[in-house]
Amino acid sequence: MNRTFALSGDLGHGAVVAACVLALLGLGLLAYELLRASRGGRGAALGLAASGVLAVLGLLAAALRPVAIVSKGSLVGPRVVVLADMSRSIDLPSGDGTDATRRQTLERALAELDKRSGEVRLSLYGFGVGPATPLREGSARALGAALLPGERAAPTLRVRPVLGSDLGAALESIARAADERPAAIVVLSDGRLDRPGETATAEATRAALGQLAIPVHTVSLAAEAPRDASVRKVLAAGAAVAHQPFSLRIEIGCDGGLPCGDVPVVARELRDLGPPATLAEGTAHVVSGKATLELSVTIERAGTRILEVAIQPPEGDTIPENNRRLFTVDVTRDRVRVLHVAGRPTYDVRALRMWLKSDASVDVVAFFILRTHESQVQATADELALIPFPVDELFTDQLPTFDAVVLQDFNAAPYGLTKHLRELSRYVKNGGGLIMVGGPGSFIGGHYAGTALAEVLPVELDDGRSASPADLAWFSPRITEIGRTAPVLAPLRALLGDELPDMPGANVVGDARPGATVLMTHPTRRTRTDKPMPILALGEHGSGRTMALAIDGSHRLLFSDFAARDAGRAHGAFWDAMLGWLMRDPRFEPAVIDVKGGCIAGEEATLILRPREGQRGKAALRIKRLGGGEPARVREATLDGTGKPVEIAVGALEAAGYSAEVEIVGDAGKGPTTRRDFACEKGGEEWADSRPDDARLEAIAAATGGRHVRAGEVGSLPLPPALQVAAERQVAPLLPAWAWAIGAAVLLGAHWVVRRLGGLV
Amino acid sequence: MPRRGALLALGGLAALAVSREARAFGDEGAWNPRVLLTGNARWEGVRTSAPARWSAELQIRTSAPARQSPGTVRADEPALLAEPFALWGGEADTAPLTEREVSGLRRFIALGGVLLVDDFAPGSPDGLAFTRAAKREIRRVIPEGSPIPIGQENVVFKSFYLIRRAVGRVEGPPRLEAIVRGGIPQVIFSAHDLTGALARGASGTHPLQVTPGGEPQRERAVRLAVNIAMYVLCSTYKDDLVHESFLKRRRTVEP
Repeated sequence: MNRTFALSGDLGHGAVVAACVLALLGLGLLAYELLRASRGGRGAALGLAASGVLAVLGLLAAALRPVAIVSKGSLVGPRVVVLADMSRSIDLPSGDGTDATRRQTLERALAELDKRSGEVRLSLYGFGVGPATPLREGSARALGAALLPGERAAPTLRVRPVLGSDLGAALESIARAADERPAAIVVLSDGRLDRPGETATAEATRAALGQLAIPVHTVSLAAEAPRDASVRKVLAAGAAVAHQPFSLRIEIGCDGGLPCGDVPVVARELRDLGPPATLAEGTAHVVSGKATLELSVTIERAGTRILEVAIQPPEGDTIPENNRRLFTVDVTRDRVRVLHVAGRPTYDVRALRMWLKSDASVDVVAFFILRTHESQVQATADELALIPFPVDELFTDQLPTFDAVVLQDFNAAPYGLTKHLRELSRYVKNGGGLIMVGGPGSFIGGHYAGTALAEVLPVELDDGRSASPADLAWFSPRITEIGRTAPVLAPLRALLGDELPDMPGANVVGDARPGATVLMTHPTRRTRTDKPMPILALGEHGSGRTMALAIDGSHRLLFSDFAARDAGRAHGAFWDAMLGWLMRDPRFEPAVIDVKGGCIAGEEATLILRPREGQRGKAALRIKRLGGGEPARVREATLDGTGKPVEIAVGALEAAGYSAEVEIVGDAGKGPTTRRDFACEKGGEEWADSRPDDARLEAIAAATGGRHVRAGEVGSLPLPPALQVAAERQVAPLLPAWAWAIGAAVLLGAHWVVRRLGGLV
Repeated sequence: MPRRGALLALGGLAALAVSREARAFGDEGAWNPRVLLTGNARWEGVRTSAPARWSAELQIRTSAPARQSPGTVRADEPALLAEPFALWGGEADTAPLTEREVSGLRRFIALGGVLLVDDFAPGSPDGLAFTRAAKREIRRVIPEGSPIPIGQENVVFKSFYLIRRAVGRVEGPPRLEAIVRGGIPQVIFSAHDLTGALARGASGTHPLQVTPGGEPQRERAVRLAVNIAMYVLCSTYKDDLVHESFLKRRRTVEP
């Protein structure tokens, strides 16, 4: 409460001044009168002057009527935004000589800062990726309660760390926010930031703040770099294209006085099954704490691949988690490299070859068997345009260079393929695509039953000797319910609807293998389990995909009276989708899987499933660790057919590479599956460089007129002072108006009497 | 007449059904040198055995399956679009194609079909009258296409045998002519009476003499026929890079 006085409670400023001027004038006249009439004694003059002054003052007081003012209010601190680094790097050691992490240092600094909450209003935000995120908005007291060391501090700061340190985005969001402008910003970080960068830090900081001209104080959470050797950065020179070597530029760091010297480096590809495949090895020569090494690697499989770059650190390394980096590489294809092997030339072979050759995105290597052992060519070898079929070379050394293998009407037995079937099966497990197209030399007729290759096909091959290899009756394939919703048949159905041309017989195959998707069936023929015999089936095996087409008449989509209706476009539409599905072209996937915010080992991970419109039913998600083993997680979600993304929490995962496979099971049964590989790292990019960067924090503070301090000195930050804000005001007259009037009259009367006595009337 | 017509129609359907059932699995895509008929033309004479001989030679010499009894197909029939090959032969000027025939052939070519135009009388006084007539009519089918000579460099000459020059019943010019679309010969003109060289009577004798080279020339004509069939079945397979160096080497050592 505050008490003050005022000359008048109701008169305006002009009236008060005028009254005072008149009073002064009155006093002046009195003085003049006393000087001219100095007849009386000194005592009379003093009495005359005193009574005159009192009379003037009494009149002035009666005119103004002074008042007392009582006001109530409080001190309000200015708003100060606190930006706490929420990136993964704050879980690194603080390097202050204790075992404390930067997160613990941050908690202590925030608690210390909270002691200033009497002066300022603190708004706590976290920064990492994108705009600043409020951690606890509200009074300083509430903030302080949340930041007290111990149990109560935990809920506030146990937010999920993020894989980024974008202070620039956080400053931009604060500067552009519609709420109260802060008077200052305090940044608590280790300085290892994505933005502002190492160069032009001041300019970037000012640009982020825009019109907000306030000081940004910075608080360093780490003192020294830990003893650490790490894979700091892995950069791919150019895009990764399957089958083509590309360069990995690897930066190795060595800090905290760790003696590194020569550091062995290895690059590997994580495979679906089995140990990682070594792509390249080298040695990094560390000079002045860092080294750069280029490794040339070739990835044979396109799509999302998980690579590992690891170093062998010297003794004394304190952060083993950053000795290995796992990262996802989207390997594109310059062109899809297809090996097309046909057992004999037919119109079906011709049609498929013509389509493969017509597609500029396909690089086809073809081998057709043009003569058999029984053929009587009636010519010498020099008169023939025939070359040997390099079966051993193709199915051993060359096999990984192909994205897909098409076996069309090809009998494995006479041409030496049988001995390579296990290798071909491994090729599929490791991510290759395989298409078996029907004909007398395919499936059972091609001696594939009971072989290793039969295990990767999406249909079973009856191993009984009595099994008939072919059904000779003409028929029209039926598209299954699943086929009607499968994106892979959508282009064909867009042209033909559900009507397909008659086919001249079919290969006899068994039931679809577990997990396979049947898109077309035979209208009359049944399997041993009395199910319609599959004609077109898709399957997944390991990280590869397979397709079985048990007819040799797909050329009738290109060349027939039926095909003429759409100018033969259905053939291209069919094979484009089939090869696209085999190559995991997103156009033909039933859904897309993303990892929300990246995967951090030990933290809760969430996958986002984005289904295609029309996909409804149960989505069964299986997460498997690359390299083999049982599914690490199995989850289920419901798809309503609207195509809305669905988030699926999968819990905390260990640091490793994973495959997430989704199988959509609708009313009509199991539909096609989709898959995405992803990596979980303990620290990722945020732990790759464990050194704190004080220089950058200093530059940020200097650029904005702020101050840079260490975490222990946070109490010394010059925060803006508090302001007094009035809440209530009471005005009361010192005396009633009549009392002032009587007083003035008495004083005036007394002065009159004194004047009479002094002879001045 | 209507009754007779109905009976004929039923007979045709039955024949179609029989031919469908009789065909083994895998035969649908087999080589089938169908003879194209236009106007009032009929398939008769000594050359009628040639398509079957063509199929037989192909099957004996290569791995390709072939129909042993190739038939005929009319240019205005939907059946023309059932398979991607037809042989159009003749020995004299031919009547202009009807609009339906032009339309049928246009659709056949648009789908990627291959047409072999074989002149049965290249040495006649008229001198390639059929070839001239066929080119005139083909121009109506493919107005933008004009024939160009094709020789050893073309896939037709290396699709199975390495062939130095084209021959048939007559030696004729060393090269064939073809309308090439998208790098693929789609209409091949032979001025060699290739069909005549393939003709063989029931007793196994050849009804037509091959001149001037006799039986060795007939063998070379059969090889050309095999190459044409393999080209139709394999398309440009022998143009693939993997064959190129090998075939170049073999061409250089060829006598």
